[in-house]
Amino acid sequence: MCFLNVICVPDEVIRKRLLIDGDGAGDDRRINVLMKSFTKWCHSNFSPEEGFSQYQRMLTTLAQCEFSMGKTLLVYDMNLKEMENYEAIYADIERSITSAHEKIAECKKEIQRAKRIRKNRQEYDALARVIKQHPDRHETLKQLEALDKELQQLSHIKENVEDKLELRKKQFHVLLTTIQELQQTLENDEKMESDDTQESSMENGD
Amino acid sequence: MFISLQLLHMSVFSQSFSPCGRFLAAGNNYGEIAVFSLSAALSPDASEASQKPILNFTAHDGPVFSLLSTDTHLLSAGNGEISAWSWAELIKKVRISCSVNDNSLIVGGGDNNIHIMDMETGIFKSVLKGHTDYIHCLCFKEREEEILSGGEDGAVRIWDARTNRPVHCIEVFKYEECARPQFGKWISCLATDSDWMLCGGGPSLSLWHLRSMSPTSVFPLPGCQREAVFYQDLIMSVGEGPHVSHCLHGGTVKAQIPCTPSSLNTLALNLKNSEHRVMTVGGSSHQIDVFTNFSYRAFSLSF
Repeated sequence: MCFLNVICVPDEVIRKRLLIDGDGAGDDRRINVLMKSFTKWCHSNFSPEEGFSQYQRMLTTLAQCEFSMGKTLLVYDMNLKEMENYEAIYADIERSITSAHEKIAECKKEIQRAKRIRKNRQEYDALARVIKQHPDRHETLKQLEALDKELQQLSHIKENVEDKLELRKKQFHVLLTTIQELQQTLENDEKMESDDTQESSMENGD
Repeated sequence: MFISLQLLHMSVFSQSFSPCGRFLAAGNNYGEIAVFSLSAALSPDASEASQKPILNFTAHDGPVFSLLSTDTHLLSAGNGEISAWSWAELIKKVRISCSVNDNSLIVGGGDNNIHIMDMETGIFKSVLKGHTDYIHCLCFKEREEEILSGGEDGAVRIWDARTNRPVHCIEVFKYEECARPQFGKWISCLATDSDWMLCGGGPSLSLWHLRSMSPTSVFPLPGCQREAVFYQDLIMSVGEGPHVSHCLHGGTVKAQIPCTPSSLNTLALNLKNSEHRVMTVGGSSHQIDVFTNFSYRAFSLSF
């Protein structure tokens, strides 16, 4: 009966069985032994005690087979659940990868903005340094105002001085012309006097 | 033996990325231009061979001092001539020389003048005179349509591109905080970012505010800087000394990243292609360093 079992099962199952249970020790052997002992027990003539003990032994073997089958079923369930778990973790990791990619893109944009801002700040600083070298505008305006006032005052003074100069010039001019006129009059007078005496002496000589 | 001697004495003077951003062209002092495939070099399975050029040809008799990429062509300038190579043909490993485009090309030359050439017809449209010595570097401000030029005479001149007249002249070496009389007064690098301008060379690398025409920060870099660019919030510059300097606008040098060449001549950033966003530097060595993360050197391409 066991040989029939072996022939009808497909190749894959044989390969798997050989892999797992190649040397014949274990569950498969147990089942074969059970079958053999069952047939032997059916066909042979044992005494009632021997028969009973053989029956007990077969029951234990059966129980062992059932136990091992139960174990395998549980392991199979466990594997299925593990697979589900791993699938879930895999999907989770995929999601976090995509979100990390998005974050990286965001951060790259941020970096570009920050670089632009830094460049603008640097340019601003550079210009500010140049501007600081020049004096303050209020100061310069005040200086300009003071200079303006001084300029006005000085031009005022200049005007005054020029007016005075004109006046003195005119006064001196008047004085000089008067003196010249007086001189002329005096010379005329002298000339007239000398003419008079000449005339009188000429009259006397005659 | 001869080849290794040649490699030893090679200097890379100029670089340019292709319009699609997947190829790099570099010009050296022997007049050769090598085209490297960035996508091959940056791919995960890059090998020794992918760091060699896919195409290497002799473009000029003298050194290739500057390379510029337009939307369809690579322009290379040597001693006295400008050639245009079609990028489509270069990528197919064949070279053809022609020039077709609808912009104008601004060329600064050894004759102290800046020539503006119409790209379609190849005729020179106008000449900007004003410099008293030859011109090292040119830069263009798109918003106000202004051309900035710097040269051996130490002056940075700003020209209006529409009327071709000079607008300003800044003599950098006359400003005490920038001037370094021991190095001279020549200006070798110019970069502009709307209102701000970087210039360096003999005088220290300095950041200028163009509206007020005043230097706002001077960078304490020891050697003469050959090329500087603005990138995001940083300023990157290369020059004498085997490192790339990262500086902040405030005037502090944030980092100096070491590189293989002992002194660097050119720096290029590939911003056109977001997948191959790299910085490449070349100088007095046959190797061109590639930086994928700008803080450290990833690998080197070699001629």
